[in-house]
Amino acid sequence: MNNENRKLRIALTKGRLEKDTVALLEKIGYDCSAVRDKGRKLILPVGDTIEVVLAKAADVITYVEHGVCDMGVVGKDTIMEMSGKFFEIADLGFGRCKFALAGKKGEDFYQGYNVKTIATKYPNVSRSFFEKKGMDVEIVKIEGSVELAPLLDLADAIVDIVETGTTLRENGLEVYEDVAPVSARLIVNTVSLKIRQHEIEELIKKIENNIEK
Amino acid sequence: MKQYDLITPEGTNDLLFEDCAIRNGIEQRIAGIFSSKGYCEIVTPGIEFFDVFNLRSRYFPQESMYKLVDGKGRLLVVRPDSTMPIARVAATRLREVPLPLRMFYRQNVYRNSPAMRGGSDEIKQMGIELIGSDSRRADLEVITTAIEVLASCDNEKFRFEIGDIGFFRELVSKLDTDDASKEEIRSLIEVKNYPALNDLLDSIGNNKITNALKQLPRLFGGVEVFEKAANLFADEKINKILSDLKAIYNDLSALGYDGKITVDLGIVNKMDYYTGVVMKGYLEGCGDEVLSGGRYNHLLAEFGYDVPATGFAVNIDAAAKLIKRSNTYKAPAADAVVFAENGYEMDGLKYAHKLISEGLTVENSVFGTLEETKKYAADRKIRKVICVSDKITEAEVNVNE
Repeated sequence: MNNENRKLRIALTKGRLEKDTVALLEKIGYDCSAVRDKGRKLILPVGDTIEVVLAKAADVITYVEHGVCDMGVVGKDTIMEMSGKFFEIADLGFGRCKFALAGKKGEDFYQGYNVKTIATKYPNVSRSFFEKKGMDVEIVKIEGSVELAPLLDLADAIVDIVETGTTLRENGLEVYEDVAPVSARLIVNTVSLKIRQHEIEELIKKIENNIEK
Repeated sequence: MKQYDLITPEGTNDLLFEDCAIRNGIEQRIAGIFSSKGYCEIVTPGIEFFDVFNLRSRYFPQESMYKLVDGKGRLLVVRPDSTMPIARVAATRLREVPLPLRMFYRQNVYRNSPAMRGGSDEIKQMGIELIGSDSRRADLEVITTAIEVLASCDNEKFRFEIGDIGFFRELVSKLDTDDASKEEIRSLIEVKNYPALNDLLDSIGNNKITNALKQLPRLFGGVEVFEKAANLFADEKINKILSDLKAIYNDLSALGYDGKITVDLGIVNKMDYYTGVVMKGYLEGCGDEVLSGGRYNHLLAEFGYDVPATGFAVNIDAAAKLIKRSNTYKAPAADAVVFAENGYEMDGLKYAHKLISEGLTVENSVFGTLEETKKYAADRKIRKVICVSDKITEAEVNVNE
């Protein structure tokens, strides 16, 4: 756990964000062959000065918050759901999608005064969305395909990530309202940014110059 | 019904032996620093009325406080912070005492932190409050004390940072927008969320102030920060804030902690009652700050005693954890164990007492035989077994290190 001479450690969200981040790191000149050819390893070197840790999205936040990883790449969706103490330095521009409120096509969600039931994988995001509207809703946490809940009449609507909207359409659902845009973010531990300021700022600068707007 | 009789509540731990020894060592060292500078210890109650922490400015979100109800139905909280109770004491019992007041504390604070995130709900803090002076001398005294405390935790691996919340407050007060947007700007600067801050400020306007606020989260580092800040915006008040802070920075640089003292003008925490110079301390290997403090000139007025003050608190548990992780401190074994034959029990205790008065750590054997005592001594790595009967015999114990 001793930080001295430790490589800069970046936690990446496994999957698509990992691939996009690797592409970005290669673009700014880091050798990512170890990550591309990783096998089952979870900690991998990138160039001589960085090591990459592969983790689930929520764990990226946990590792960065505790300072065992200096930086992390994670979706805004996870940041909104988990919150936490870290710096949210850059919008990396990839992994774009949105949070949306959706339900059965053609129905008026806001109609009537009965308390609505919302099914979601993101209870905190949903709660704060309806809190801002001053609306009391009942939230049911669903782990898998949230789209099932309104179809089975468990919920009046869902709050979920929407990328293309194909799943919604194929199941007779539609977006009622956008909740928030989502994209990949670069986060930094609050102490690391100060203690390793020069290394981190240099990397951030390179990344910022290469973000596709 | 499920019984929770074998575990401790989330966010709390038992501290065993070495943990206590390490923590006591740190506390003693820091208490020594404080009292040598004339700070007197104060202990405030572990529970206080909710109202003490629910002042007009609501520094603590209510969901972060542990609450109880007293016998008369009044709402209590388990102390989430020591500065506010001390402000209460200063504004009441110490009101007639000539200023300045110098006080230090070492007590736990309790905060409801998010479950399962590895945070601690019970934190041992030590800190000082210097009440009754708004002078640069007072700022320097508190800041250099904070640096001394931090360096005493780890002379090599600390960073100390100063800022002035007035810089942000001045800028944002000139901004033509509602309070909700101002609060959002503050929270985005706090988390250094550059992209969202830019978007929000662009929607408000494109002028010198919005451009300066956009740069605020980036204004951290060494002495170059002052020049950058001065180029962003200049008026009489801001120039004074920057030149005062720079003077402090230059004075601190002369202490010789090369590169360990930095500036961050983007320290704009929400829960702060701070009004001027603020400070934060970091130890390498701790994921969060271990020391924080600053000037709070309006807090005491909320208790009806309008005097300026400054102070800081340091997280003793974080410092102790780091020391525990970095070395293999073991609580030392006793020097000897005294076994008394049947009928000589009091003589045994007397002999142990004699050795103790000579400066040794000596245990009294509660076993019935010498053999059991020797086995115990070997287990506990106690090197000497002394048998007391009509005579006194000593045996060395073979201790494998």
